[in-house]
Amino acid sequence: MLKYLLSRLGGMAVVMAIVAVLVFLLTRAAPGDPVAVLLGDQATPADIARVRVQYGLDQPLPLQFAYWLRELAQGNLGDSIFLQRPVTQALWERAEPTLLLALMAVAVAALIGVPCGVVSAVFRGRLVDQCFTGIAMLGASIPSFWLGLVLIQLFAVSLGWFPVSGYGEPGAPLGQRLHALVLPALVLGLLNSALIIRFTRASMLDVLGEDYVRTARSKGLPEGVVVFKHALRNALVPIVTVLGLTVALMIGGAVITETVFGLPGVGNLVVNAVLRRDYPVIQGALLVIAAIYVLINFLIDLLYMVVDPRVKV
Amino acid sequence: MRSAHPAPPRRQLLLKTLAASLLSLSAGLAQPALAQGGSHATLAMVAEPQTLDPMASTADLVGTIMQHVFEPLYTFDAKWQLVPMLAEALPKVSADGKSYRITLRKGVKLHSGRELNAEDVVASLQRWMDNAPRGKAVARELAGIKALGPLELELTLKNPYAPLVAQLALPTGMAAIMAKEAIASPLKDFVGTGPYRFKERRPDQYVLLSRFEQYSARKEPANGYGGRREALIEELRFVPVPNANTRVEGALAGQYHYADLLPVEAMARLEKAPGKTVPLMTPSFGFPYIVFNTKEGVLANAALRQAVQTAMGPGEMLAAGFGDTRFFSAEPNHFPKGSPFYSTAGAEKYNQRNARLAKELAEKAGYKGEAIRVLTSRQYDFHYNMALLMAEQFKRAGLKAELVVVDWATLVQRRGEPKLWDLYITHSGQFPEPMLSPPQLGEGAPGWWSSPAKTAALEAFNREADPVKRGQLWAKVQQVVYEEVPYVNVGKFASLSARSPALQNYQPAAWPFFWNTSVKP
Amino acid sequence: MKLPLALKLLLRRRIVLFALLVLSLITVLALGAELFGRVDPNDTAVLERLRGPSGAHWLGTDELGRDVYARIVHGGRYSLLIAAGTALGAVLMGTLLGLVAGFFKRLDGPLMRLVDAMMSFPDILLAIALVAILGPSMFNVVLALVLVYTPRVARVVRASTLVLRELLFVEAARAVGVSTPLILWRHILPNLISPVLVQLSFIFAYAILAEAGLSFLGVGVPPEIPTWGTMVAGSQSYAHQAFWVVLFPGLAIIFTALSLQLVGDGVRDLLDPKLKKSMK
Repeated sequence: MLKYLLSRLGGMAVVMAIVAVLVFLLTRAAPGDPVAVLLGDQATPADIARVRVQYGLDQPLPLQFAYWLRELAQGNLGDSIFLQRPVTQALWERAEPTLLLALMAVAVAALIGVPCGVVSAVFRGRLVDQCFTGIAMLGASIPSFWLGLVLIQLFAVSLGWFPVSGYGEPGAPLGQRLHALVLPALVLGLLNSALIIRFTRASMLDVLGEDYVRTARSKGLPEGVVVFKHALRNALVPIVTVLGLTVALMIGGAVITETVFGLPGVGNLVVNAVLRRDYPVIQGALLVIAAIYVLINFLIDLLYMVVDPRVKV
Repeated sequence: MRSAHPAPPRRQLLLKTLAASLLSLSAGLAQPALAQGGSHATLAMVAEPQTLDPMASTADLVGTIMQHVFEPLYTFDAKWQLVPMLAEALPKVSADGKSYRITLRKGVKLHSGRELNAEDVVASLQRWMDNAPRGKAVARELAGIKALGPLELELTLKNPYAPLVAQLALPTGMAAIMAKEAIASPLKDFVGTGPYRFKERRPDQYVLLSRFEQYSARKEPANGYGGRREALIEELRFVPVPNANTRVEGALAGQYHYADLLPVEAMARLEKAPGKTVPLMTPSFGFPYIVFNTKEGVLANAALRQAVQTAMGPGEMLAAGFGDTRFFSAEPNHFPKGSPFYSTAGAEKYNQRNARLAKELAEKAGYKGEAIRVLTSRQYDFHYNMALLMAEQFKRAGLKAELVVVDWATLVQRRGEPKLWDLYITHSGQFPEPMLSPPQLGEGAPGWWSSPAKTAALEAFNREADPVKRGQLWAKVQQVVYEEVPYVNVGKFASLSARSPALQNYQPAAWPFFWNTSVKP
Repeated sequence: MKLPLALKLLLRRRIVLFALLVLSLITVLALGAELFGRVDPNDTAVLERLRGPSGAHWLGTDELGRDVYARIVHGGRYSLLIAAGTALGAVLMGTLLGLVAGFFKRLDGPLMRLVDAMMSFPDILLAIALVAILGPSMFNVVLALVLVYTPRVARVVRASTLVLRELLFVEAARAVGVSTPLILWRHILPNLISPVLVQLSFIFAYAILAEAGLSFLGVGVPPEIPTWGTMVAGSQSYAHQAFWVVLFPGLAIIFTALSLQLVGDGVRDLLDPKLKKSMK
């Protein structure tokens, strides 16, 4: 087991190293000068040169990378050029809406997706199945911004049940902030439920075809017990895996929804950073996002290992 | 994907615990600073300000927000007349026009608690002249600046310079007066004299300004930006809402007390929702203009620039950009009727939209079908729509337009490189003083317009002390602009914003201000 | 109520057939844009802006007076081209990558690490960053999306290759002296066709949505190229007074993506032996 653990850690480290190189190269190769934006339209070339030195942008590329790595080792992701604050702080300020949104969205996706997927699997081939599968496919074909605009028009503008955009007033209590996340969570949740429906269905079908299910049936157990007590439990593991990975991907992956709803999340941070050529933020955010994903992946692997059924059952 | 394994209940528990801990972690995360009690106003702005240092940016947004924190020596009243703000009265100008003596008001409190003195003003103006583009232009005219006493200072010019006071008054790229000890680059502490003090900034979320209790107000009644200012609202919350559509929806839903720069298309919707929102139109808000690269590239050829101007149809472009005729006016005069600088010089060259003639002129100028690179950005819808239309107009005249659509950040950088563009599109506010905009009337701005005719006309224009005569001299400058085509002033447009009915006593202005306004509970 | 196997297959097939029809229609319209488009999609007519569907303009006009129907047809060509380019590129590169990784044990580790690294970024974020670097052009959008989706294909192809290696006793064949290219070409590749085809179809669908998303954010193709995404992005401010400018491109996106997924599903069902087995 230790050997496996070490090999996984090693793999993780390699992946993160590749990510670091990719991220660094990615942002350095871009045209457009962040200093010009910061200083405004009529800055002189002398001003621009001065600030470039201040941010170390005049050094050769490998040297910049080395400096960057050294900073990373110290837990320093650098300072944002535009936001005038450490990248870590910028990310931390965005953490709450991003995490809350991801969790709420996945909850919605799971609440819709899992039951529908189970029903689909159980009644495979029948009308219900075809309907749900069809809906799932439809869900995967709708652009998120379109759905967002529709929901805003319906629930925020016409009915006034939710705010049109934003994350609540500055200083708003948690309740108001969660309230502002309902519509975006619905958008993301509905669209992701498509994936969950199909995955749950596939996973259930897999499990329902297994020997022990047949055994359970042949023992005379009622179908409901077979489905819920035995099949679903086992099918749930890969489903939860997918849910976990979905949460990880929404950290940064909910860009479009964040933009439509004006949420100060991590995805929005990166897009703005790209538009402003704010290198430190782009690098830092991409790195953290990838790290979170890799970490969650690893944790899930770990969980599998720890609770390996071949040992326990 | 992993194949299913039978899962004992323990695994579920593990996962549930993980989920729970994640949730509690997030719930306890960073809480923004809050304002309990007291009134507040939520003001939806076009974007996140690049900086809060009013001298570091010429952006309207920065000026709009920070004019609540910093005050200039002079400012404009409702009729765009110069009135004193931190100065006691208009400056005493010497007979030869080269010396300006300014007396400050007594007992003006800074946010740090102490009183403002001439040293602060001199230091602030020095910083302005070192950092702000217009400040630098003024610095070239200035022989010296010094404090004569605790409340007296004197500016000495090399030559008479008519726009001096106006330059000191403009809220964008403001000659902001701040406490001497707070001066630093970059600016970290915002210690001004304004009715509001800086409280907190969360980039892309909000800028909070709170009432300055010891504000020293002027005695005269409020008039435009001048006169008495009172901070009736406890806290101002400027929130960036970059999506124009969202600003409109927010205004309609009553989410914002004020929503700035709305797309004019939304007027109809806003009018149809009485009681929820009040649309506000600011006529003659500004002018879009198109800058030509006179230094390098295919348009360095003056005759070709004339051909391009002939092909252009600003009227149609304005229609494309603004739709509703209530919101734009296609007129050749750079300054509206009623302005001392009103003139129709060069009018025959405006809005020709003559494809045939343009083609001829282009041929005569030696045009061989090269691509004319038009730099524009999506950040302002109307820039982009105008660019599209202009490209079509060029096509009809046999001119090949190549649209280079980039982010605003990239545009700002690229326009400083003469090798990268031939035309770019931008806009400016309509100011009473011609020298304030566009920057191409100055030196070194993108486009790099420089010619003997320009120098001659501008020299005469700026040396003239008599305002009436100066007004007439603008005609000469405008004529040169139409002849040499360093830029094309497309026309005038009005801006649309909206306020909530709860916001009382708001006076529409080019840079919205919220002192003297109150919020009905 | 259990339906007979053949009927089940037929039912499935019908939807797929329908989807294929829709796709063909869209493709034909798009390819023959000049014929079917009726007018120049970039022809502005500011006086005619925001008119509703009528005899002259089947689907109305947009904010610059351009014919929406023409823009959808021409836009379809661009959107489909980008998506098709992406799908083909991703499939080609992914197959190459996956094949090499699955076949040559020594290269498997590093290549898959690279794939893992690329897949640890959310798709759209990676696409945004790539397009921002490369610059907004049709080619760059395709390139960026290809880079985003290649890892997906690589993983699938690698998995299949690994299975095929064992199944086809590749080691044994190699030991006997059968040349590697021959093995790859005649034995492995043909068996990869079915999973690859499925991937092709789905990536095509994802690419349509991805391009629309990029254009919406303003970081996709330059806006004078009328793709469906740029149509929605450019006209969203006018959606309330003139819903057709956003509705029709939106529907085009939805229908195309949906049809592609139905086709992909159909192909997968057809070629999936496990499914056939479980349906008996």
